[in-house]
Amino acid sequence: MASANSDEPSPAASTVNDDGRSEAEIEARMLELLHQFPKGISNKILDTDMPTVNKQIKVNILNELMSKGKVSMFKAAGTQELFWCLKSHPTSRIKGADNEERVVLGLIEEAGNKGIWTKDIRIKSSLSQATLNKVLKALEGKKVIKFVSSVSAPKIKLYMLFNLQPDRSITGRLWYNNENNEFESELVDLLNHQCFEMLQQQKEIAQQKQNEGPVTVRNSSFLSSKEICQVSSDMKLVKFNLTVEDIETILDALVFEGKVEKSTASDGNCNEKVKMYRSVAQPVPFASITKTPCGVCPVINKCGKVGAIQPKMCKYFNEWE
Amino acid sequence: MSSYTYTLSPFSQVCRLLMNNYFGEIVGQVGENLLRRGNRSLFDIKTGTGMSLWDVKRALAVLIHHNIVTFQASDRNPNIAEYSLIPHNAYCILRYPKYLYTIKRIYGSSEEVLIEILLNIGQASASDVIFQSANRLNEAIDDVKVLNPSALYQSFQKLAADNFIIRCSKIEKNAFVENVPKLLELKEEEKFIVPQLEMEPIAKLLREKATQLGEHSDSEVIWRVNHQRFDVELRNVILVNAAARRVDAAAGELYHLILKLWREACPVEARTSNGVSHSLIKDAVRKNDGGSPLLMEHFDQYLRVLYEDSTCLISRTGDSGGGQFAVNYADVFENLACAILDSVVLERFGSKALRIFRLTRMQKFIDQDQMQNLAMIPAKDAKMFSYKLMEENYLQIKELKKGTSNVGPVKSFNLFYVDLPQVVRTVLEMSYKSLFNAIARQTHDLTANKLLLEKHAWMENMLERLRGEDTPDDLLADLSESTMTAADKSLVAKIHKLSDNLTLGQSQADETILILESYLKFHFMA
Repeated sequence: MASANSDEPSPAASTVNDDGRSEAEIEARMLELLHQFPKGISNKILDTDMPTVNKQIKVNILNELMSKGKVSMFKAAGTQELFWCLKSHPTSRIKGADNEERVVLGLIEEAGNKGIWTKDIRIKSSLSQATLNKVLKALEGKKVIKFVSSVSAPKIKLYMLFNLQPDRSITGRLWYNNENNEFESELVDLLNHQCFEMLQQQKEIAQQKQNEGPVTVRNSSFLSSKEICQVSSDMKLVKFNLTVEDIETILDALVFEGKVEKSTASDGNCNEKVKMYRSVAQPVPFASITKTPCGVCPVINKCGKVGAIQPKMCKYFNEWE
Repeated sequence: MSSYTYTLSPFSQVCRLLMNNYFGEIVGQVGENLLRRGNRSLFDIKTGTGMSLWDVKRALAVLIHHNIVTFQASDRNPNIAEYSLIPHNAYCILRYPKYLYTIKRIYGSSEEVLIEILLNIGQASASDVIFQSANRLNEAIDDVKVLNPSALYQSFQKLAADNFIIRCSKIEKNAFVENVPKLLELKEEEKFIVPQLEMEPIAKLLREKATQLGEHSDSEVIWRVNHQRFDVELRNVILVNAAARRVDAAAGELYHLILKLWREACPVEARTSNGVSHSLIKDAVRKNDGGSPLLMEHFDQYLRVLYEDSTCLISRTGDSGGGQFAVNYADVFENLACAILDSVVLERFGSKALRIFRLTRMQKFIDQDQMQNLAMIPAKDAKMFSYKLMEENYLQIKELKKGTSNVGPVKSFNLFYVDLPQVVRTVLEMSYKSLFNAIARQTHDLTANKLLLEKHAWMENMLERLRGEDTPDDLLADLSESTMTAADKSLVAKIHKLSDNLTLGQSQADETILILESYLKFHFMA
């Protein structure tokens, strides 16, 4: 319980003060002020607003607000003055939460999108392991917090508020499901297919310009990753926003399938390098050997002149069309 | 009946089977002995195969005459000749139909007949070849007027000028003094020069319908088919197709012309060709009348697109003369071989495995975790495919140790990488094996069902004859019913169909083999 500017122990607050307002009214006024100055109010502002109110009462009210979790206290960096500001997520909506839970919850809220590790919570709240576990279980049961796994260290558990989306840096990419950390392969396949179709269409459009020469054809069959991102976002294939990096990872997967080629070009306006992609044909369409049964035979290593597997009685040959 | 029982490599098995099918069992056995044991003297071959000396001699004569076996004096005893097999030439028997098709495509039917005769005989003088080709054409045309052999003579000269036929090595003058005649290699310039021939005597013989040429002036000047040149031609077809696929058909034409220029600039097969200047290429395009108009119009653009392409079809080596352009065959064939390998991985394991394979190849060395992230594949699948590929030797693992302490379990990085020559060799062996299987199966089918097939052929002939004599259709149907049952007929149809498929399969395997062999050859060339 912090005291504003006196060293004396604070006396009990009296319900009536000089100006005739009740405590509840003063509290309400303070909350208004806090809303008015979201960046925080200092003692000075309080003084100018309610000069007649006893300092002690103000202090008591502020302390009470803090313990209810509506207000938090900060120290200004330069002047070492104390500020109070309104908390954005009042944790007081949790009924019957005891102090430890509130502390833990406060820490988890602070971590925000990125989540916080159990060890960090333990250090910051200086609770013992057992109490911490109990608290976390209780909070999870109330569905206030949840844990997610980070891609970088799959074993550690990060906690964050229930309704927050985990930040990109810990789930690696949007390609992981929230609940069970499964790789969303259908989504990836869908996007994959979509991007490839786009590039194919662009190539066909470019082909029609054949009379202008092959360099024109080639250059107009390129699409930059930004453009593809734009079109995909417009199509609203996915619920969340696609960034350029996401699309680039999909396109890189297409490069690794050999269907698409990548090159960098400098943007017209600025000096950044932009990644361009186009659909290409392989120099050899397919290995002719794969058209024969032997090319794809699963038991070719066992095939020989003697034994059960011989070309004379190969059933794949019999069924070959 | 050889005393060794180890199995031959798939390539040698293919050669053996080809010799067997083309020349017969006796020659096949002699060929196999030479394949297994390398250089052998006549007596060794006789004891090795257990055949009579007479048979072995004749078999060797056939093989030498067809340029598959060559001889030289043995090191140990200069009075005895040692015979050695040229496996590549034995393998090229498979490609004879492709040679004929190539020649027909480039030149025409009279040149095709010349090459066909030369392939049949093996080695022959120019007059002989011309004489026999004329006879063959006369039979085909069935005309009273006899063909003028001077047209054939010109065709022969054209073939020699383009190096499709080459002169055989001469026998030294004092050859028969020593026990083993020494073969003298001709000088480069002389190899392709056709001697002056008089066509009159040949024309006279043709009019008399003679079957043999008899004595003629150039019987010492012997020609054979130049396998190397044909291989280059088959390779060029693949390269031109690749250029056409990457850009468009006009680019393919341009590439074809440039290939010709490179060949003229640098006749010896080397890893990189000599540079050819921009102006030279432009002249060639201008002279090429049948080319597409787009090519001339956008000539610079086409050239630029080709040399900027990532398959390294052309590389710009200098700036003199408007730009010097050359090709590095090692690079081009590396890209083509990679495309082949990608296709094989795709067909055998699926597209996810292909992503992993290409990814590892492009990144050179990669970790298991990175693999999963870059390829956008779920972790379990990525692991499964990478281990499957490793099982079949498409991927290898390299271990790098982490940390320097040797206390306790040592952690190490396990990196995947692709050893390209190794994988190419694996797929090449597989291709040889599949080629062997196709030939073996075809031979087996045709010999096992020989009686049935002969009966069917006889029946077909008879029906044709009767159809020509205007017999009513229902009589024909009755006759065919009684000769062969429906089940038999369907079996024959099936055998024929499979045989056609197998022939196709053989030529497909050969295409793949050509690209992979070229890659290995240029990769390991100095």
